[in-house]
Formats: sequence, structure tokens, C-alpha cells
Amino acid sequence: MSNEAASRATQDVDAHTRVGRTFWGRLSNWSPYRALMGLVTASPRRQFLILAIFPLLWVLTQHLGPMLQMVRVSLTDAYPVAPGVEQHFTLDNYARFFGDQIFWQPFFRTLIFAGGFTFCTLILTYPVAYFLARHVSRKNQMLFLLLLLIPFWVGEIVRTYAIMILLGNTGALNLVLQSLGLIDRPIPFMYTSFSMGVGIVYLTALYMLLPLYSALEKLPRSYNEAAADLGAGAWTRFRRVTLPLTIEGISSGCTLVFLISTGFYATPVLLGGPSTTTFAETIAGFFHVAGDEWPTGAAFATIMFFAALVLTAVFQKLMNALRKGDTK
Amino acid sequence: MNRGNRILLSCVYWAFVLYVFVPLILMILMGFKDSKFIGFPIKSWTLDWYTGIFADAEILSTLGYSAAIAVLATLISVAVGTWIAVLLEGRKFWGRTAIFGMTVLPALVPGIISAIAFRIYARYLGIEPGMGAIVWAHAVHNVPFVVLVVMARLSTLPKSQLEAARDLGADPIIAFLRITLPYLVPAILGASIFCLLLSFDDFVRSFFLGGYEPTLPVLIFAKLKSGMSPEINAIATVALVLTAAIGIWAERFTRRMNKDTKA
Repeated sequence: MSNEAASRATQDVDAHTRVGRTFWGRLSNWSPYRALMGLVTASPRRQFLILAIFPLLWVLTQHLGPMLQMVRVSLTDAYPVAPGVEQHFTLDNYARFFGDQIFWQPFFRTLIFAGGFTFCTLILTYPVAYFLARHVSRKNQMLFLLLLLIPFWVGEIVRTYAIMILLGNTGALNLVLQSLGLIDRPIPFMYTSFSMGVGIVYLTALYMLLPLYSALEKLPRSYNEAAADLGAGAWTRFRRVTLPLTIEGISSGCTLVFLISTGFYATPVLLGGPSTTTFAETIAGFFHVAGDEWPTGAAFATIMFFAALVLTAVFQKLMNALRKGDTK
Repeated sequence: MNRGNRILLSCVYWAFVLYVFVPLILMILMGFKDSKFIGFPIKSWTLDWYTGIFADAEILSTLGYSAAIAVLATLISVAVGTWIAVLLEGRKFWGRTAIFGMTVLPALVPGIISAIAFRIYARYLGIEPGMGAIVWAHAVHNVPFVVLVVMARLSTLPKSQLEAARDLGADPIIAFLRITLPYLVPAILGASIFCLLLSFDDFVRSFFLGGYEPTLPVLIFAKLKSGMSPEINAIATVALVLTAAIGIWAERFTRRMNKDTKA
């Protein structure tokens, strides 16, 4: 007994001398470091402030700052300000948007397209997510999901180009249709809203698939079995059980895809045509020319940002109401 | 009936796999076509486009430029993102929701608007378009992803470990460096790879904040606007192979690390 205690005591001494020798031990015994730590940990409040001050400054200046500066520039008549010229605040840049069809038409087109493409993505990926979550064994799920993830690591431009090759007049799709004898001459798929839609759905599908998959995966299978025992058919089970309980996944997937598809610039430039000019292209136009158009561009970007935010907020409210109504 | 459903759904899944893979495979094939014109059918094959791009100093330097930007931006994002995650995870304080909202903001702003806002702000801060501006914009844009990944991992850190360290006399910084940080390594590595890929593949921010030297996606875009050629396919294939290889490796690596720490 006493032997044991003694050996433990020597171990403790050993441990102490070892602490003194390690890097960390030496650091915590180093007097400037101890003085610094004394200052930092003087009170929990001070410790928290030191931890919080950098993140707070960063998000204010780097995350919020660019957006606020964009709004501020959108309210000025000239930016950057030439020397000797006084800068005035004005709403003219916003008035310009409503004044001309070539501005608000792309705006509404973008919102309608983005909404439509989001819906297409949902319809396309829901069965895929359902299959993954329900019909693939847990062991294989990651493998099946990984297979779909690989192409999504490839960048926006490369994938847009891949769609151009697929849909071109001498592209793969036209070649297949022609050799099957379905068409005589190539269908001009490119530079239409169709090609743009295929491209955007191709780019955003994953952002829909992942939220849907995680919502479906969380849903216990027993719910469906219970509904089946109570005599519900497959369609009723889907409509009354699966769909309402995955609304959260649907809502976050749609929000993500909608926001992403309103922001595409290169894809509509490469896949769209003159009849499919998006608002992103309109906005970008103001930044290609000399600096004096920047305030208008900033105003248009602000309009688009708030429109997208309001629409997604309304959509989420709707989905929430739907969910609550259904589970009552 | 359930069986029929299952077969139907598996057909949908494999059709979806085809939909995501076929365009990329076609694009890769076209890079081996022995003709200047893009289009099917491909009658003869060549490797000339590849030997061409690997002999082209401009393309190689663009590749290096893109990689350097991605690495620098990732280092910044990871450091800042980890710090923010440590502040936000498991702490309740006044204004936490507001800080969290501002943290995820850059990830939610649609691409073109984010690029425009960064362009204006860079001018305001006096950052000239070029490498510095791109690194800064990519770093800010990627911070939210790091924060979310690190926060998820941090929430599973057993509190008792930190308490034990504090009881043994570790101050907050040493406890962070010796307990929290090693525990976060898998999340930090995973987030780093994700940031590297996001930055390397980013077009819209690089396009609006770049100077005369293009990044790889901007170079491909510029070449595409002046006409399609199998040379672009070869460049795009190199970019594709690089990103997919890094992605697959990271996926396996993080899975293995997660398994190790769980065991």
C-alpha cells in the first residue's frame, strides 16, 4: 500500500520535471507569456472580448462591408469620384431601372428562369435522392453519393463547356438523334433558354440533391410502414407522409439553387443568346465600360439582391406554413 | 409493386449518373480529336493538343497562378474561419445570431452580386485588380464554408477533455492548441480542400477582380469566347483531372481520419 503511494509520488515528481522540460511546459513557465496570459485571463469577460473582437471586426468589415459599400455607391451620382467633382446622393440609378424595358425585362426573365430551373432541378433530383436514401443499403449509400459528387468538383466553366459540346449543332445529342433517323438536320439547341436551362440545372443539381438526401435519410422508414398498415397506397404514402416530412429539405434545396442560379454570369454568356439576356449580364455590362457607370451597376445589383432575398424569404414562409398545416 | 418501384427508381438514378458524366466524358474525348473543328463524329485521334498545352508557357504559368491564389486564399479562410467557429460554437451571448448571419452572408449572395460588391469594395480599400484582390475575395467568400464545417466538428468535442486540461493547469491558449486544435484537424483539412477547389474553380470573382493575368477558368472563358477548339478541351481536361483527383483523395482521407478519431 505504502509502496504504491510512494511510487505514485515519484511519478508525480517525474511528471512535474517533465512538464518543465517540454515545449509547452517551458512556454507556460516563460515569464512574458505568463504576464500576457495573466492579462488575457484576468476576467472571463476580458477573455471573451479578446476572443470575440477579431471575428466581429472581420465579419463587419469583410462580410457586411462590401454589401454596404455597394448600396452606398448605388445612391451616388459618380463613383469613383473624379478630383474636383462633388459627389451627390441621388435615387436616379434606381429610377433608371424602371425607366427602360431593356433593364427590367432581363430582371424579370432572370427571376422567372431561376424559379423554373429550380423547379426542374427539384423534380429531377427528388427521385434520385429518394432512391439513395431508401433503396440503397447504408453501406453503399456513401459510394453511390460519391459517384455523383465527382463531377461536381469540376468547375463552372469546364462543365458549361461540356454542355456546349453536348448540345452544339455538331454535338453529341444532334448526332445521336440524326443517326436514329429522328431528325434530318440538326436542331439548334444552343443559345436558347433550353441550353441555358440544361446548363444551369447541370451546375446546381447537387445543391438540391444533398439537402433532399439528408432530409429523406433522417425520415424513419417505420412512418411509411405504419401508413401502409393503415391502408394508404403508395401515392398517398408519398403525398401524406414522405413529402410533408421532407419539406425542410425541399425548402433549403430550392432556396440554395434559386440564389445560385440568379447569380450565374458565365453560363448565360456562353450558353444563352440575345433573347435570353440575364440580369447578371446587364449588371456586368456596367462594369466593363468606364467607371462612371458603376453607381448604376451597383443599384441594379442591389435591386437583384433584395428581390432574391425577399422571394426566398416569402418562399420559406410559405413552405413553413405548408409544413405546419400538414402535420396538424 | 415495391419491387417495380425500386427498379424504376434505380433506372432514374443511373440515368442521372449518365446525365452528370456523359457531358464531361464527351468533353474529354473531344480533346483527343485530330481536327481543329469541335464536333462529332471523331474520325482520327491525336495527343497533339496535350503536348501543345504542356509546351505553352502561358498556360503553365496560368496553372501556377491559379494554384498560388487557391493556396493563399485557403490559408486565410481556414485561419479566420476556425477562429469564428470557436467563438460561435457552444457559446451564448448577445448578438450571436447577428454575427452568425453576417458570417454566412458571403456564401448566400448570388455570384455576380458578390463579384460586383467585392470589386467596388476593393476599389474603396485601394486594392488594385490582380492577384491580391482575387486572393482577398476568394478568402472572404470561402470563410462561411470553413466556419460551418469546423463548427460541426467542434460540437462533438467532449467538454470533459477541455475541463481536464484546465484542471491540470493549461491556460486557454494551450488548451486550445493541445486539445481543441488536434481534434479539429480532420475538419480543417476537409474544409481546406473544399476551399482550394472552390477557389481554383471560381470564375466570376476572378473575372471581375483580376488584372491582366488570367486564372485558369478565366483563360478558358476568354478562349471559348473567341471560338471552340480541342485545345480548350485539353486545358479543361487537365483542370478537371486535377480537381477531381484532389476531391476524391480528400474524400477518402477525411473519411479515414474520421474513422480513426471515432475508434
